Amino acid sequence: MTATRYDRRMYAVMNDRRAAAAYATVPRRRLIVGAHIALTVTGVGAWISTVFGSGYGLLVLVAAVMLPWMLLTGLLNGSTRGLLELRGRMLDERQLVERDRVRALAHRITLWLLVATAFGVGAYGVLADAPLQTAVAPVLVGVLAAHWMMPLWVAGLRVQDDLGDDEE
Amino acid sequence: MSRQALAEAVGVHYQTIGYIERGQYNPSLDLALKVARFFGLPVEALFSLEPFQPLTDEVYGRKQ
Repeated sequence: MTATRYDRRMYAVMNDRRAAAAYATVPRRRLIVGAHIALTVTGVGAWISTVFGSGYGLLVLVAAVMLPWMLLTGLLNGSTRGLLELRGRMLDERQLVERDRVRALAHRITLWLLVATAFGVGAYGVLADAPLQTAVAPVLVGVLAAHWMMPLWVAGLRVQDDLGDDEE
Repeated sequence: MSRQALAEAVGVHYQTIGYIERGQYNPSLDLALKVARFFGLPVEALFSLEPFQPLTDEVYGRKQ
């Protein structure tokens, strides 16, 4: 299938090297992934507190983390060269294999996260003798966020450094 | 010759050439044959099940 103008545009965006120095090394990419996880937890936590709690004060926090979160998401996508954003026809054979691995690993991690969450919520209900109905929706939103972001975090951690310039 | 030029010639991302060089990705037969054709060499001159000897060892007959 031939690439569309959208495909080519996205490919160019995902392979834009202007910010490459920010994610050039493993420690930098780990730092970006860690910061992205922290911002996601903060933002989603604040959103859950706002929607399922009382008061709108924490919406300020959601708004505050939004911009840096988008910036880090862009850096992560740049570091993976759009592995999870580009259509399959814009990826080569190695990238398609890597995308499958990333998705499989993310799926496994999310599965264990779900298991831990189910046991945690169940244990809380039993030990605290609290009704679980009110906890279901917030927990579901939290798990949804983790399920959504996990492939990006895994992909960001699996990227290898570029080899040096090889022009002769 | 740059990785970028080779990558464009064989239709892969330039990073993939680096992954192959480092042994972190084994190319498909199709890609291996394209790379061999690009260099005008038989595929076994570029890819092997055993690690290649350093060129200096082969030229000077040095045994490891």
